[in-house]
Amino acid sequence: MNKKARRKNALVSSPYMVWIAAFIIIPLLFIVYYGFTDGAGNFTLEQIKSIAREEYYEALILSLVLSIISTVICLLLAYPLALILRNMNLSKQGFIVFVFILPMWMNFLLRTYAWQAILDINGVLDTALSAIGIEGFNIINTPAAIVLGMVYDYLPFMVLPIYNVLVKIDDNVINAARDLGANFWQTLVKIIIPLSKPGIASGIIMVFVPALTTFVISDILGGGKLLLIGNIVERQVKADNLNQAAGLSLVLMVFIIINMLFSGKDEPDIKTVKEGKKNEKLR
Amino acid sequence: MRNCAKRIYLFLMVLFLYLPIFVLIVASFNDSKILGKWNGFTLEWYKQLFDNASIMNALRTTIVLALLASIIATVLGTLACITISKMKKSTKSIVVGITNIPMLNAEIVTALAFMLLFVGLGISLSFSTVLIAHVTFCIPYVVLNVLPKVSQMDNNMYEAALDLGATPFQAFYKVTLPEIMPGILSGFLMSFTMSIDDFIITHFTRGSGIDTLSTKIYTEVRKGIKPEMYALSTLLFVTVFVLLFLVNYGPKTKAKKSFTTLIFKNKVTVAISMCVVIIASVFGYNLLKDDKNYIGDVYVYNWGEYIDPAVIELFEERTGYKVHYEEFETNEEMYTIIAKGARTYDVICPSDYMVEKMIENELLAEIDYSNIPNISNIGTQYMNSAQGFDPGNKYCVPYCWGTVGIMYNKNMVDDEVNSWGILFNEKYEDNILMQASVRDAYCVALSYLGYSINTLNEDELKEATDLLVAQKPIVQAYVVDQVRDKMIKNAAALAVIYSGEAIYMQKENPDLEYVVPDEGSNVWIDGWVIPKDCQNKEAAEAWINFLCEPEIALMNFEYITYSTPNVAARELIEDEEIRNSQIAFPDESILSRCSVYNYLGKEGDTLYDYYWTMVGGAESD
Repeated sequence: MNKKARRKNALVSSPYMVWIAAFIIIPLLFIVYYGFTDGAGNFTLEQIKSIAREEYYEALILSLVLSIISTVICLLLAYPLALILRNMNLSKQGFIVFVFILPMWMNFLLRTYAWQAILDINGVLDTALSAIGIEGFNIINTPAAIVLGMVYDYLPFMVLPIYNVLVKIDDNVINAARDLGANFWQTLVKIIIPLSKPGIASGIIMVFVPALTTFVISDILGGGKLLLIGNIVERQVKADNLNQAAGLSLVLMVFIIINMLFSGKDEPDIKTVKEGKKNEKLR
Repeated sequence: MRNCAKRIYLFLMVLFLYLPIFVLIVASFNDSKILGKWNGFTLEWYKQLFDNASIMNALRTTIVLALLASIIATVLGTLACITISKMKKSTKSIVVGITNIPMLNAEIVTALAFMLLFVGLGISLSFSTVLIAHVTFCIPYVVLNVLPKVSQMDNNMYEAALDLGATPFQAFYKVTLPEIMPGILSGFLMSFTMSIDDFIITHFTRGSGIDTLSTKIYTEVRKGIKPEMYALSTLLFVTVFVLLFLVNYGPKTKAKKSFTTLIFKNKVTVAISMCVVIIASVFGYNLLKDDKNYIGDVYVYNWGEYIDPAVIELFEERTGYKVHYEEFETNEEMYTIIAKGARTYDVICPSDYMVEKMIENELLAEIDYSNIPNISNIGTQYMNSAQGFDPGNKYCVPYCWGTVGIMYNKNMVDDEVNSWGILFNEKYEDNILMQASVRDAYCVALSYLGYSINTLNEDELKEATDLLVAQKPIVQAYVVDQVRDKMIKNAAALAVIYSGEAIYMQKENPDLEYVVPDEGSNVWIDGWVIPKDCQNKEAAEAWINFLCEPEIALMNFEYITYSTPNVAARELIEDEEIRNSQIAFPDESILSRCSVYNYLGKEGDTLYDYYWTMVGGAESD
């Protein structure tokens, strides 16, 4: 491109450059600035170090544990599901996917709240279970309820990227493996799973990050007894302690980046993540 | 066999995904305000939905916001893609990388980043701040869809158009645009759905008077969601269901490939455009109902469920002011918003100690009593009590008052309840509900230990903290407004509550009983104050004056059942039992063992917050 065209291109792109500088980069710099200063604007590492406070790192550990468990459960539930969906005959495919996406059109806060009513003591499930003689199944306000909420809310985030990768696998590849004498499990482990790694990786990113940082699910299903790191950040904001909130956010971002690098080793490019998000919203 | 297992698995997953939705749809036809308690079939909520101004407003804001955000994001993003594709490879990957940050980062971090940006630059939160945030997180989805199309495009076509004499604009419009249109459309639709569904970012960046469906639902979660919301969600859900069904299974026509088929190829386009039409008709209906005697706006910030909605309508009718009504859950949350100048309100209803704090930090304006002749209806004893936190009664007009005590279920508790100690009794494990606010939690522990509820003595606080930490495993939940539903549903045996809740709860469930423990407790007053940076002081005073009218105060009392300091209103209460109720209007013997909360200073606040976080982080089993 010649110089003139390049300059023109720069001119046309300038509104966009200004926008991303002002509203993506500068806000992140604000987080860094607040995270490294005290209320008066003096430099300090206190905000970052506060993660070492017992209650905070326990919340962080709890968040890590619960989000890892949820991610694993999502993966275990979603993979067979995606596989079944893939093997359905084509005419039904649209309908099945549509069935799994439709729930997302109901506001997720409401759906989580409905789980509260289902799991509550004397709630829908409790009443139903005691009618058939099972008493005292109460998981509301426990970590199990939070995990259930996370799995419920984020399952589609796992199903769709995996499904998207699976449908792209050529049937001939699978048939070839079968013809060469591989049984179902061998085909699965040696052919299908390796080929679907990008989908798995993007599913993990998309479930783990929101699960790690949620405060809504723990709020609604944890009864205020269980604090996740997201709750701590939100509390700090409410308690007018923005510096600390920023410091803790910086700590959180470290884990988000680690997760991306880790899942990234299996080479999902950003595109599968995006396609996942796209499909989950659009079908 | 294998097929059968597959079917069962699919069925179970579908059940899992649809169970909560089924519960919500059933709730929209349930003649009870409590989710999960069936009272009979009704269509009432659907009828009331269209008259519920606040839900309709939230719906309107949600749609307008999503439309604007996705249009701006689409224009900016498309422009960006066209220029990005011409950049050097290294620059390109940097720009795309930055663009993707809001999509891959945690939402709460993005939300906080925006909040810090706006607050740090002294920009008060408003509709524009939410819009900016939404545009920013929508752009990546546009770029995601448009960039591949732009890259695929053969640049020679554009060049050819130029050679044939088209201006660059014509060439873009006639050649480039039709080529990349499908990408632009799906980018727009994706942005639209993302924006509609967003909660966290909106929650952190919204200005006063701005509620989307998500933020509205979140505030309502605390006190029980209004059934109208279930009705609205059911309507939206069913609409989408029917549209998607038709698109998937409706008759398929094979038209020539034209611009229209391009649009209609995308199934969701049809779905959403029809939704928009439906919702637009709702707006039309709403516009017809707009007021004629409008003279100004008043922004009100009040506790959740703390007014009879009919009172707001009456006020609008009588005065011509349009009320923008918003709710907060805790004093502390409200204080942050006001002190940061993040949002501005004209009239607020904080509690006693918070009024004191706001006076001390010079956040309040003096009230001009010549505009509030109805002040004479407020009992002098209450005005005198208010002097405890507002010397000279300069800033605050009492609105409600009451005590903090224990509500218990007579069928579930067989001990005598007269001491806070019962809340620490392991016998009632998982049957105890505590308040989620710092001061109320410490009120329980400090009173039980025989210390002042305003203590700043660290040893006493530590002791109280140890007590609360030890109590945590037997507590079922720390609640705000959910306490009502839970106690009414018999989901807990004991709860710490405000006296005002007691009357309502007893009405719903006669097994409940309210007690102010012998060790003493807190007596509180909530009152109306006018912040210094209010935009319409006259309207604020008109609001306060209106609420002091005996008939209006009575309406509020009957609706919220919190004790009113309005003596004239109390005289009007017909039910003698309530007029002389010890719960609503406790006598001196109860009041003498209760004290008010004082503002503890910034250090005191930090101290309490420090210890309270210890309770929050403690093991719960």
